[in-house]
Amino acid sequence: MRPEHWLYTIPLRLRSLFRWTQMDQELDDELRDHLERKTEEYVAQGMTEEQAHRRARLDLGGIEQTKEKCRDVRKVNWIEDLIQDLRYGLRMLRKSPGFAAIVIFTLALGIGANTAIFSILDSAILKPLPVNDPDSLLIVDWINPEFPAGVANINGGFFPISAGRFQGSSISAKLYRKLAQEQTGFTSLVGIADPNSVAVVVDGQPAEQVSLQYISGNFFQGLNVMLVVGRPFLAVEDHIGQEPVLIVSYRFWTERLARDRNLLNHKVLINNVPAQIVGVAPPGFFGVRAGQWTDIYAPLAMRVAFSPAAGDNLARGEDDRDWWVRQMGRLRPGVSKAEATAKIAGLFRALASQNLSLEPSKVPELITTPGRRGFDSLNPRDASALWILMLLVGVLLLIVCANVANLLLSRSVSRQLESAVRLALGATKGRVFRQHLVESGLVGLLGGAAGLCLGYVLAQSVHLLFESGRDASSMFDLHLDVRVLGYTLLLSILTALLFGSVPALQAARAELNDALKSQAKSVMGRQLRLPALLVSAQIALCLTALFAAGLLGRSLKNLKWTEVGFDRENLVYASVNPGRAGYSAEHLRPYVDRVRDEIARLPGVLQVSTVGHRPMTSGGQLSRVSIPGRPFRIEKGVLTPEQAATVNWVGEGFFETLRIPLLAGRTIDRRDIRADGEAVVVDERFAKHFFPNENPLGRRVGFNPKDNARYEIVGVVQDTRYNSLRDEEAPAVYEPFAPDARSPVNFAIRSTIDSERLAEAVRQVIASVDPAVPLTEFRTQNELIDQLLRTERLLAVMSGAFSLVALTLAAVGIGGVLAYAVARRTNEIGIRMALGAGTGDVVRMVLRDSVSMTVLGILVGLPGAYAIAKVLKATLFHLQALDPRTAFLSFFALIVVAILAAWLPAQRAVRIDPMVALRYE
Amino acid sequence: MLLLKILALGPMNGFAVSQRLKQVSGDVLQVSDGSLYPALHKLEQEGWITAEWKTSEYGRRAKYYSLTRLGRRQLEKETDNWGRLSSAISRVIKLKEA
Repeated sequence: MRPEHWLYTIPLRLRSLFRWTQMDQELDDELRDHLERKTEEYVAQGMTEEQAHRRARLDLGGIEQTKEKCRDVRKVNWIEDLIQDLRYGLRMLRKSPGFAAIVIFTLALGIGANTAIFSILDSAILKPLPVNDPDSLLIVDWINPEFPAGVANINGGFFPISAGRFQGSSISAKLYRKLAQEQTGFTSLVGIADPNSVAVVVDGQPAEQVSLQYISGNFFQGLNVMLVVGRPFLAVEDHIGQEPVLIVSYRFWTERLARDRNLLNHKVLINNVPAQIVGVAPPGFFGVRAGQWTDIYAPLAMRVAFSPAAGDNLARGEDDRDWWVRQMGRLRPGVSKAEATAKIAGLFRALASQNLSLEPSKVPELITTPGRRGFDSLNPRDASALWILMLLVGVLLLIVCANVANLLLSRSVSRQLESAVRLALGATKGRVFRQHLVESGLVGLLGGAAGLCLGYVLAQSVHLLFESGRDASSMFDLHLDVRVLGYTLLLSILTALLFGSVPALQAARAELNDALKSQAKSVMGRQLRLPALLVSAQIALCLTALFAAGLLGRSLKNLKWTEVGFDRENLVYASVNPGRAGYSAEHLRPYVDRVRDEIARLPGVLQVSTVGHRPMTSGGQLSRVSIPGRPFRIEKGVLTPEQAATVNWVGEGFFETLRIPLLAGRTIDRRDIRADGEAVVVDERFAKHFFPNENPLGRRVGFNPKDNARYEIVGVVQDTRYNSLRDEEAPAVYEPFAPDARSPVNFAIRSTIDSERLAEAVRQVIASVDPAVPLTEFRTQNELIDQLLRTERLLAVMSGAFSLVALTLAAVGIGGVLAYAVARRTNEIGIRMALGAGTGDVVRMVLRDSVSMTVLGILVGLPGAYAIAKVLKATLFHLQALDPRTAFLSFFALIVVAILAAWLPAQRAVRIDPMVALRYE
Repeated sequence: MLLLKILALGPMNGFAVSQRLKQVSGDVLQVSDGSLYPALHKLEQEGWITAEWKTSEYGRRAKYYSLTRLGRRQLEKETDNWGRLSSAISRVIKLKEA
């Protein structure tokens, strides 16, 4: 239709929509006028008044029918109908508030759970970056068959991909700057480093840890992010020796600077280096990685100024062998992605071969990947956990749908008569179907609204569970936005269609005769087949949820109780960071000794030692072992598992404190703890791997091919877990602990008192030794292990909760259908009892129905359970995907629920008095 | 199209339209009163005709329909189409079997 036509007709439609009573009145007048004239004409032709009137009406073919036809051509009729249906639906809901509340609550559970998981999934994985036109952003990575030649250190991503190659993401700062300047495929190429934790002092307040990211001078302009206050960095500010300048996040500006627009008034120290704030990022801009909030941005070149002076006297400057700058580009309009990639790869080859004096063929190949969502915010395991949860809440929603469909069905059965009468009075089937669907839609939307509220609360708590143990700067942006609202709306409508279509179809099929007859009692049979099938479907889905929850729960238990090789109970770690309070290397030793002795003197403390890396915390270090007299191979420049060993630094008494059994030789003691200490202890795995069939004691090893006789093995201890409960561990070496000013000192404490009291006592001891050094962390070993299992626990807890809800809904479903069946069979049961059936027979009859529905559900659900087991396979630990015990427990739980759910209806059946039942007829 | 053509003669009410239709088509085209009104309302919704309440010669209020500019254009288009179609049909009918 032509647009001008639209212009013309829309007001007409609106008129018919909003003034339909007037329209109707006019229609009425018009037709009456017609009739009068027609009658007059017929009278003029000689008919009697009455005949003429009759004739005129006959000509018109029924006033009401004509009116209805006229209304139909208005085309907005459906809106009128819709409003009518909605009013009617609301009236029906108001008439049975209890029913409405149950349906809406059930829906809210299903939709809320989905909204919650979706909002986390969306903010963590799906949502594009909060910048202008995120689709034109590309991340620039590189691919190389080995660790890049000429590179000393890679800070950023570096991981193996297919075909024995490696993918990395960062390059050196100097290379980046040249690349950004000379490239032509992108409107701009921005550089960004992974966040660093720095100590910041604002206007002389106490120092705080914040997250700082080094960025290129064109970062904010390149991403098209407008600052709310101040200015972006200038190109000249990204040079070594420039006065340090900063841009702070909106949150930092609000919390630390009280939104003062006079940024220049504030004196800021970053790691004790004065710097000037020049701008404030907009609210909601978290950086380029979802869930990672950056507080402060500084130019790339400031990394040199802000880095704490290292003990070694390396030249302070930017080194082309140090790769740490990630890149992101905005594609120039009119340039294809392939073209831009080829251009920048060629340019990089030329620049890098020149800067690193390499053959061009040795330079890594630059590639581009879509940057619309920024850098990956979750590791693959966490991301897959979220998808699994999404799947589980999907199953939950289907169960909710089946449940609600059944509730509505039971009501529509009792409303069968109403539908039948409507049909008999001339409503089309489509109209009745539509009316029921509109009612369902109304319920769906109400449920969706309630679900949104529930989902919001749920999302916050799931998020807490998901994030527990991460630092405060890693929070996903979880506010309800258009995307979440849209998702919930869509979900509500889809749900309504799903659960509403069955009862609506049923209603539209209503036959007046049947309906009237059923008033006069009928046997159950056909009438209850559909509800029973729905209950079975619910059981089937419930089995899937239960099986998933069982597998995840058992897997978590397996992980949690994996043998760690030491006594994890009553073991805590207290951490301090004296280096930050100004302790130099030589003052550290006495300080650490003093604190250790003081802690050891506390009542209830059995043993104390020091350790560099607390077992079962992520991080830790892998080193390359070299042994005198053995060839030292480097393959592809990366550490191969054959040569790798984990390294830890332990003080005297460490093995005794953790209760790691000594197998041969001696442990590390006081005389070994010195800068040039040579004694190391290795674990059994190390001994077997590097010295098979040899006595490792007295052998020398090193971690540097040039100094491979640096250490002497003095003892062998039992294997322990170091970083993970899941993966195979590498061999381990324990070096003597020599505190250094840049890392925290951890005291491992074995005690007999509870950790809270111990924490307080330790805090006081540390404060009494030196008030300037605070206790930075106090964790029990079990807390650390729990933190490691955060994702697994999230999955187990959530799937457990969901399956409990699913079970409850299934029980309600079974109970509802049985209660209805018993009510309908009152007659039959009465006759049976009159004929001599005992209580047991009646109970058995009800139970049989319940169990048969459940067994059917279990049978139907087996493929679903199998499918979910396949999906979960990769996440399970020491557990068959088709774990028979879990399967048995799931079946058992369902049967028990079936029996319990049958209890009330069975009681009611038993109480039927044959006389009353028969008289009821 | 027929209704549009009749209304092109000037504004008239529903009753008059039905009378006129019977007259001009010589009772060949019988449009029942029952379908006349829905048809008129449809044309009105399409914006091809417009209606207003007027007091008629006998002091009776009646709804008078008249053609709009849009309707006139539509009428021209349909007349055109009809002309083409009918001439095509008559050409086909007049074909002599060779």
